Amino acid sequence: MSRDYPLGTIRTEQVWKRFRADQQRMLLRDRVEQAARRLRGDRGEDWRWALRDVNLHIEPGESVGLIGSNGSGKSTLLKMLTRVMYPYAGVIDVRGRIGALIEIRAGIHPDLTGRENIYLFGALLGLKRREVAGRFDDIVEFARLGGAIDRQVKFYSSGMQMRLGFAVAAYLEPHVLLVDEVLAVGDAVFQQRCLDRMREVAEQGTTIVFVSHDLPAVQSICRRGVWLEQGTVRVDAGIKDALAGYRDSIEAQSEASARVGEPLQLLKYEVRGEDGDDTTLHTDEPVTVELTLGGDYRGDATLHLGVSEGTSSPIFQISHEIRLTGGDHRVACVIPRLPLPRGRYTLWTGVYSIGKTDGGTLMSWHSAGQFDVFGPMLDTPPRAVVMAAPVFVPHQWED
Amino acid sequence: MGGQRAQVIDEQQGRAAPPGAPAPVGPPPELVFKRRLRPVQVAHELWAARELVRALAERDLRARYKQAVLGFAWAVLTPLALCAIFTLVFHRAVKIETGAAPYTLFAYVGLIVWQFFSNTMNQGALSLANNLSLLNKVYCPREVFPLATMLVATVDMVIGVGVLGLMFLVFWTAPAATFLWAVPLLAVQFAFTYGVALILSVAVVYLRDVRHLLPIITQMGVFATPVAYPLAKIPHRLQEVYVGVNPLGAVIEGYRKALLYGEAPDARMTLIAAASSLVFLVGGYLVFKKLETGIADVA
Ligand SMILES: Nc1ncnc2c1ncn2[C@@H]1O[C@H](COP(=O)(O)OP(=O)(O)O)[C@@H](O)[C@H]1O
Ligand SMILES: [Mg+2]
Repeated sequence: MSRDYPLGTIRTEQVWKRFRADQQRMLLRDRVEQAARRLRGDRGEDWRWALRDVNLHIEPGESVGLIGSNGSGKSTLLKMLTRVMYPYAGVIDVRGRIGALIEIRAGIHPDLTGRENIYLFGALLGLKRREVAGRFDDIVEFARLGGAIDRQVKFYSSGMQMRLGFAVAAYLEPHVLLVDEVLAVGDAVFQQRCLDRMREVAEQGTTIVFVSHDLPAVQSICRRGVWLEQGTVRVDAGIKDALAGYRDSIEAQSEASARVGEPLQLLKYEVRGEDGDDTTLHTDEPVTVELTLGGDYRGDATLHLGVSEGTSSPIFQISHEIRLTGGDHRVACVIPRLPLPRGRYTLWTGVYSIGKTDGGTLMSWHSAGQFDVFGPMLDTPPRAVVMAAPVFVPHQWED
Repeated sequence: MGGQRAQVIDEQQGRAAPPGAPAPVGPPPELVFKRRLRPVQVAHELWAARELVRALAERDLRARYKQAVLGFAWAVLTPLALCAIFTLVFHRAVKIETGAAPYTLFAYVGLIVWQFFSNTMNQGALSLANNLSLLNKVYCPREVFPLATMLVATVDMVIGVGVLGLMFLVFWTAPAATFLWAVPLLAVQFAFTYGVALILSVAVVYLRDVRHLLPIITQMGVFATPVAYPLAKIPHRLQEVYVGVNPLGAVIEGYRKALLYGEAPDARMTLIAAASSLVFLVGGYLVFKKLETGIADVA
């Protein structure tokens, strides 16, 4: 029945995975108790699905971003792809050598040196010693391990372990490269080099599955996005659509968490364009943000306003001192030229009293709502180049 | 507008999963994953993992022989000390009859086999539990872990055999010409030991408190096995059953006959032991492979 898929193909068909929901201590004592309960007719087993009916077909050379909130099953799926874990039901088929970086404590064995680990990992991938030796210098050079290569891996810092793990996975020419959200341990420079390397191997035809909460990084590498939610594939589409859907859902969740009992409330907000009637917003044109605050607080305070794409950190943040007199307070801010390209954005706001170091939160930082901007799309950067935030800069080319 | 919003899709299967629809409670039973073992593939994977076995064994050995003298002494002194005690107690006090062979040699042959077994159990049973973090990171056939500990025990056994050679000199005798019988007996010994180590190692992962029972088992085992006394001390009509349960009894007896008495091992007992060891090995392997699939879940 199994067709001959080319190397680098990943296929999961109706994959289900469950874990024990009741905490288990894995003791003989408990098992005996359990058996006794079962004799009395009480099943006493409680399972929870970690993955439900996951169907993916990834062609060789595709780069897929796997996104989803914590606990949605991303790591479980990767572990099953590496065959460390087995599904409860369904078929998993990964063709070719797998290079995987699933946990920070990479390397094979903490008691072995970095050098031994590299050779061992190569051997497990089915490479000959000679083949590993040919790539050895690249790995050490990439991981910037230098003299530490002959030290036991357990004495490496977590950053060094991650670097070694990534270098080994990415340089031993796997057909499939799986990277879980561990790159964040490295410093920014190394993260960029990892992304560069992933782009390189992707261009050489390696299939990539990349898990990260750093959505811009995912976007810079992957062409396809798979969004997992509570163990099911919510969206499997182009990376932009998948990220947009995912961002929307996070925003919807963060808005739902209401703030009660704070001295100030945001009664109303409006983001409008130039014209009073025309509420649509345009790139590089004037925008007015108007807020109405309610609450009986009197005194000076700082009002903060921010704009983000998704719930990540703000693209920009501005603030203003206001004097509150106990009644409703209306404040407007005009931005003469909106520096945002086409897209959907989130407006954030918060108010803090002046002069108090703690307990000064009058209205905590929260997302007020979303607005859409019309205008030009941003130009696409080269692959593996991460854009921290979308900003539209008016410009003119001359040549 | 922020572009086309992604829709809930499942196009490949042509089934739309509307948001909020109740998710199915489980997979259809015919999809439930069942492990199929293909002997060729299993053998191939094991062969591919030989580097890992070597590295794991080497790491243990290096840790032990870091101080070469102490490490060596450990391998030599334990059986020698036991041998001395056995000579005092069983030979002098209980007066075990060993015929033409000196009792010390007689007991030492048994101790080599027993030490090999108990070393493999003590280390091998914990070999998975001690490497749980590794099991969650890289794929490899998991049976390499108990295998590596057996390899370490084999190195100790080789040292023990070297000491046996010295003892032959001390007692000014030579191993009998029938010593080649040791080769098939060795195979039986390895098969049984590995089979038990496989079962125990995976049992300890799922039942962590079993590890506390291990020392009791290995300490009682040295007396429950004909190490200090000949197999003939076991009632005659129970001997076959005994060897079926504990093939080491026949293995030790066979070594003694081949090395010390110049006789061929008892064919019947050896065959029973061989059959039993094969059952332990194959059964242990199947149990291991069956339970292996869940190790990462509880790691
Ligand atoms: N070994 C395990 N035992 C029990 N539950 C587990 C185990 N591994 C993962 N889970 C559960 O499965 C779900 C998915 O986990 P995971 O795949 O780690 O999510 P993610 O990587 O997307 O954050 C979580 O609810 C988690 O608690
Ligand atoms: Mg995870």
